Amino acid sequence: MSTNLLRGLPGAATVSLVDRRLRGSYEIDEWGLDPELVALSDPAVSLRWDIEVSGAERIPATGGAVLVFNRRVGISEPWVLARGIRRSSGRFVRTVGVVDLAPVGPFLRRFGAVVDRPDEIAGLLRAGQLVGLPMSRSVRATVGDLQTDRIEAAITTGRPVVPVAMLGREAGRRWRVVVGNPLTPKRRGGPLAAVTLTEAVRDAVQTLLDDATMPGLWL
Amino acid sequence: MRVLITGMGGELGTRVANLLEADETVEEILGIDGYPPRRRITRADFHMIDPTDRRRIVNVVRDFDPEVLLHLGVYEPHAHFGGTAARLNTQASAVSTLGAATGCPSLRRIVVRSGIEVYGRRRGAALRPDESCPIDPTDGFGRSMAHVEHLAYETGGIAGVPVVALRYAPIVGPSFPSPLGRYLRLPVVAVSPLAELPFSLLHQEDAALAAVAAAKGTSAGPLNVVGPGAVTASQAVRRGRRVPLPVFGPGWMFAAVASEVLGAPLPPHVRSLLVRGAGADGSTATKLLGVEPRPTSDVVDLLYRWSDVAQVTPRTGAVRR
Repeated sequence: MSTNLLRGLPGAATVSLVDRRLRGSYEIDEWGLDPELVALSDPAVSLRWDIEVSGAERIPATGGAVLVFNRRVGISEPWVLARGIRRSSGRFVRTVGVVDLAPVGPFLRRFGAVVDRPDEIAGLLRAGQLVGLPMSRSVRATVGDLQTDRIEAAITTGRPVVPVAMLGREAGRRWRVVVGNPLTPKRRGGPLAAVTLTEAVRDAVQTLLDDATMPGLWL
Repeated sequence: MRVLITGMGGELGTRVANLLEADETVEEILGIDGYPPRRRITRADFHMIDPTDRRRIVNVVRDFDPEVLLHLGVYEPHAHFGGTAARLNTQASAVSTLGAATGCPSLRRIVVRSGIEVYGRRRGAALRPDESCPIDPTDGFGRSMAHVEHLAYETGGIAGVPVVALRYAPIVGPSFPSPLGRYLRLPVVAVSPLAELPFSLLHQEDAALAAVAAAKGTSAGPLNVVGPGAVTASQAVRRGRRVPLPVFGPGWMFAAVASEVLGAPLPPHVRSLLVRGAGADGSTATKLLGVEPRPTSDVVDLLYRWSDVAQVTPRTGAVRR
């Protein structure tokens, strides 16, 4: 009520925001994502990372998809991917791999992290969410491994898998996110389908990485 | 259609009976519970039988020979009975009713009340499981309902009839006896702001509509019935204009004692819900039952909109001077 009276005045938006937070009148989804908190923290995040995204038009505008991305140390990549994709496509990314331990787990869930379980990934895809699936850490110029059972969720739900290359240094500010062409899984591809798709997406990320940078520059 | 409703004395059972009474395709309704219905029933027969009185329950079920068995006699700890009594009554009611149903020649469908607590909330578990996820209860209430489901499927197998297990999100609403509802309505509510995960709720009316739809439908197997969206405990408390009191670790023991003294005991499944969260994918039930539960945030708002004192305006003609 009081915030309506303040409409148009300087600082009214901030007052309205604080009022909403105090009254609990904000959205939070079933996995714990708090979109308003993400927006609030965005200025601070932008101070830490300067992100350039190419190929964002390849991200499906609606519906679920798995974004498979490489990582080196793995601290910056989830944040960079989530912010880069959100700013370029307007969609939130749910990054797999949070430790389900308080207070770290609940805190990271507010920013879109989810636990690393095939049924959790399948649930997100069915609900039409973008799922960021990290490959294993690799400090070399080759990308890390990718677990086949995590990719199976995309096959069972029939959602596309999008390869994403992440280029940047943990200590640096500038990051580049390169989105590749989506790979559509065969729903009834048999036992080899997941293995074939895993290899294909791993190769696709490696190719994106090789194309995006000169040999050795990533290191 | 002849329908037998166990747990008809509860808020949910009575409402389901009222909805079935309004349906002309339902010829006979018979209810069983240990306490009388909470609202007026018009054409249903009601038998007040203690859930542990196995002989009487078996006789009544077999004499009635239902076509549809709606087993709602699942008692949440500290909703009506204490923790142990709720568990024993749930177990006794399920064994007697479902056991008797195997000898009913007209039986063609079983619907049982269950809950999303059957999925459990172990560390690292999925926060929004669907019906294909294996059940792994982590508290007594979840284990009770998992046992009821097991008995129902066993009965269905013997009788050769389909079984629907309605896995409800925690049911709350005005006038619905629920330990979670009572706890959230306390003036000061203990919460874990740094450790809490979101949970989903279900309104009592949506639970009743889902039970009726399942009784009249053709679907089989488990179905999650969940209000879309989620809230955290702190958020719910603030929506209700209550005072959230941050509590950490062992502080929950004191909070549990304090809330019990204030008349709102905090059973383990509610404590788990407040901290570890709880949810489930309810899209299959929405599609198969045709019931769209209201959003969790609305359920929370309706919970707090319930006035403590109901003001009844006297009718003019009834006032004598």
